[in-house]
Amino acid sequence: MSQYLPALALLILAALFAALSFVGSRLLAPRNPTVPKEAPYECGIIPGREPPQRFPVRFYLVAMIFIVFDIEIIFLYPYVLVYRELALAGLVAIAIFAALVFESFVYLISKGALDWGPPSTARQIDPSLVSAERTASTTIRKVGLEGRLPHNEVAA
Amino acid sequence: MIGQPYLIDVDWGDLVQAVITAVISFAVLLVSVMLMVWFERKVVSRLQNRIGPNQAGPFGLLQTLFDGTKLFFKEDLIPAEADRFVFKLAPYLALVPAFLMFTIIPVAGDFSNGHDGSVMVGGEKMFFQVIDPPVGILFFLAMSALGVYGIMLAGWSSGSKYPLIGSVRASAQVISYEAALGLALASVLLVTGTLSTNGIVQAQSGGFTSWALVTTGFVPFVIFVIAGTAELNRPPFDLVEAEQEIVGGFHTEYSSIRFALFFLAEFMNVVTMSAIFVTLFLGGPAPAWDFPWIDLPLPGALMGFIWFFGKLLIFLFMFVWFRATLPRLRYDQLMDLGWKVLIPLALGWLLVLAGIRVAQDNNIGLADTAFGDTLIILVIGLAGLAAGAGLLAAAIKNARNEASAVALPTSGIVGMED
Amino acid sequence: MIDVIVFAISALIIIGGAIGVIALPNPVHAALSLIATFFGVAVLFVQQEAHFLALVQVVVYAGAIVVLFLFVIMLLGVDRAQELGVEPLAGQRAAGVAVGAVLLALVVGGLFLSGDPDRGGAVALTGQSGQVVPTVEGEQDVIQLARDLFTRHLLTFEATGILLTVATVGAVVLVRARGAEDLILDEPGTAQH
Repeated sequence: MSQYLPALALLILAALFAALSFVGSRLLAPRNPTVPKEAPYECGIIPGREPPQRFPVRFYLVAMIFIVFDIEIIFLYPYVLVYRELALAGLVAIAIFAALVFESFVYLISKGALDWGPPSTARQIDPSLVSAERTASTTIRKVGLEGRLPHNEVAA
Repeated sequence: MIGQPYLIDVDWGDLVQAVITAVISFAVLLVSVMLMVWFERKVVSRLQNRIGPNQAGPFGLLQTLFDGTKLFFKEDLIPAEADRFVFKLAPYLALVPAFLMFTIIPVAGDFSNGHDGSVMVGGEKMFFQVIDPPVGILFFLAMSALGVYGIMLAGWSSGSKYPLIGSVRASAQVISYEAALGLALASVLLVTGTLSTNGIVQAQSGGFTSWALVTTGFVPFVIFVIAGTAELNRPPFDLVEAEQEIVGGFHTEYSSIRFALFFLAEFMNVVTMSAIFVTLFLGGPAPAWDFPWIDLPLPGALMGFIWFFGKLLIFLFMFVWFRATLPRLRYDQLMDLGWKVLIPLALGWLLVLAGIRVAQDNNIGLADTAFGDTLIILVIGLAGLAAGAGLLAAAIKNARNEASAVALPTSGIVGMED
Repeated sequence: MIDVIVFAISALIIIGGAIGVIALPNPVHAALSLIATFFGVAVLFVQQEAHFLALVQVVVYAGAIVVLFLFVIMLLGVDRAQELGVEPLAGQRAAGVAVGAVLLALVVGGLFLSGDPDRGGAVALTGQSGQVVPTVEGEQDVIQLARDLFTRHLLTFEATGILLTVATVGAVVLVRARGAEDLILDEPGTAQH
C-alpha cells in the first residue's frame, strides 16, 4: 500500500494548489457583484425563461449501454491476461459473452436508441421540418424584449 | 503489512521520498502545461499564417504564465442561481484526477536490451515513474472516469442553460468514447500480457517491431487515438464548447482562477493522453532501435527520456494539427462514429486477435499445425465479424424504417440543434 | 498502526457518504456522497491487496453507475432540493428502521455469537473462512481472479451476460412505454416549467 504514497502526496499537493489559488484570487481580485453580473449568461439579453429541466431520454440509454460495455470491458481485462492458458475453452467462453453483449447492443440500435436525429432523419419523418419555408424569421423566437424599454421610447 | 501487529510502521525515508517525488512531478506537470499551451498557440498561429505570442519572454514562452497571473486579478463570479458548494467543488474534481493520471507514466529509464527501466542511483534502484501499481493502466481508466464529474457537475451547478446542455453533451460523449478506449486498450493488454505500465513498456522494448502499434495490427491504435481525442473534448470533437451553439460549454459561468483551473486540467489531460499513447503503442522510453554504430556517452535514463519526449512531441503536434485542420463533427456524427463504428470494430478486432494468438500456440488441435489452426480460427473469426457487421447494418436500417414510420408532433431538438 | 488509521479514515468516509446519500435533500449531493462511499470502499480493497477490485470499484461504480444516476436525475429535472419530511409510502420510515435493525442483528450475531472463536463467525455465516492474502503467493490478484472466473465460475460469468441483456431490454421497454416518438425527437415545449 505504501507504493501509493507518492500519488497521495500529489493528490494533497494538487488540492492545496487549487485551494491556495482560490485564496490568492480572493486577495487580489476585485469583488463588486451586481445582479446583472450574477445572472445566468444569456448573450446580453435578459433571460426570458428557465433552463430546460428535462433532456432527451437517449442520454439515459447511452449511460445504460455504457454500463453494459463497461462491465464487459472489465471482464475482458482478466481474460486477456490468462487467455493463453485457457486456450480454446476461454476463447469460446469470451466469444459467447461478447455475443450476448453485442446482441443487446444490436437490439438497442435497432430500436433507434442511439440515433441522434440529423436533418436527414427528420426529413424522412416530416419533410416540412427541413423545408425551405422554415427560415430564421419563422422559427427563431423573439426573446429578450421583456424588461426593456419599447423601441420608440428609447429613441425619444 | 497484513498480519503484522499494530506498530507505528511509518518508514520516514519512504515518506520523504514520496513527498519529493510528488513535488518534482507537480512542478514538471505545471511547467509542461505552460509549455504545451505556448506550443499550441505558436503552432496554430503558424498554421494560420500568423506569428502568435512573441512578446512575453524569449519566443513568447512566458505568455501562458502572464495570462494565468492575470486571471488572479479578475473578479470571481458565482452566479446567483448556482449551487454554491458543487460550483466550488467542480474545479477540484477536474484538476485532481488530471494530476493523478500522469503518475503511472514511465517517463524515462533504461529499457534497452531488455532492462527493466530502472537506473542505479547511489546504489539504489530507481524507476522514473511516480507509482507503479500492479494494475497501473486501470488507474488511468479510473482517473479518466472520475474526470467526467468535473465537467458534469460544473455544468449542472451553474444553474444556467448553456453550461447544462454542454455538460450533458460532454458527459455522454466522454462515456461513449471511454467504452471504445477500454476495448482498444484490451487489445494492447492482450499482446503485452500485463496491466502494469512498466511491464507494458518492457514488453515493447525490442525495437519498433515489438511495439503494440505493430503487434496489435494498427487498428486498435487508430481507435485509441480517435477515442482519446474525443475523451479530451479536443477538436474535431469539441462539441462541448461549440461556441456558436452553447457559448463556452460547461465552464461558461466560470471566471477568474476557477476558469484557469479548468483550463489547466484540460491541457494537462492533453499532455497525459499523449503520454498514454506513447506508453501503450510506441513503447514509452524504450528505444525504437539500437545504435550499434554510435556509442552515446549518455546515461540510459536520459536516453530513455529523449526517446519518450520525441515520441510525445508527435502526438502533441497531432492534437494541434487536428485543431487547425479538422472541422467540428455534428453531434449525431459523433455518436454514430463512437457507437456504430469504433466500439463494434474494437470488440471484433480484439476477439480475432485473441483467436489468432491462441491458435498460434498450437494447442487447440483443430488442425495438425499451428499454421492450420491459425487459418481455421481466422476464417471463423472473419465469418463472425461479417455476421456481426451484417446484423449491425440490419439494425441501423430497422431503426431508420421505424423512425420514418412515426409521425412527428412538433419540431426542434433540445440540446442537439445542428 | 498505519493500517488502523487508513481503515478508520476510509470507514468514516464510507459511513459519512452513506448517511449523506440518505440525509441530503438534494439528489445530486446525495449522488456525490455515493461516490465518496465507493471511493472509501476502493481504499479498503487496496488495503486488502485487491488492487484490481479497487479500481473496478472506481471504474464501474463511480465511473459508470453514478453517471447513470446523475443522468436520470438531470433527465427528470428532479435536481432541486426535496422535502425529506414527506413519506411517499405510509410507514416506510418505520419499516426501514425495522428491516435495518434486523439485518444489523443478523450480521453482528453471525460474526460474534456463532462459529469457531478462533476463526471468527465468518465461517458460520458463509461456510468459508475469509482470506485476505492471495491464495497463491507471488501471483497477482487479477490473474487468480481470472483463472477462477473462467474455469470454476464460467456459468455465472455467462449468466452475467444474459443479465446485462435483460437490463438493456428492460431499459428500452421502459423509455418507450409512453410511445415511440420519445426516441425520435424530443419536444422543447415540454422542457420548461
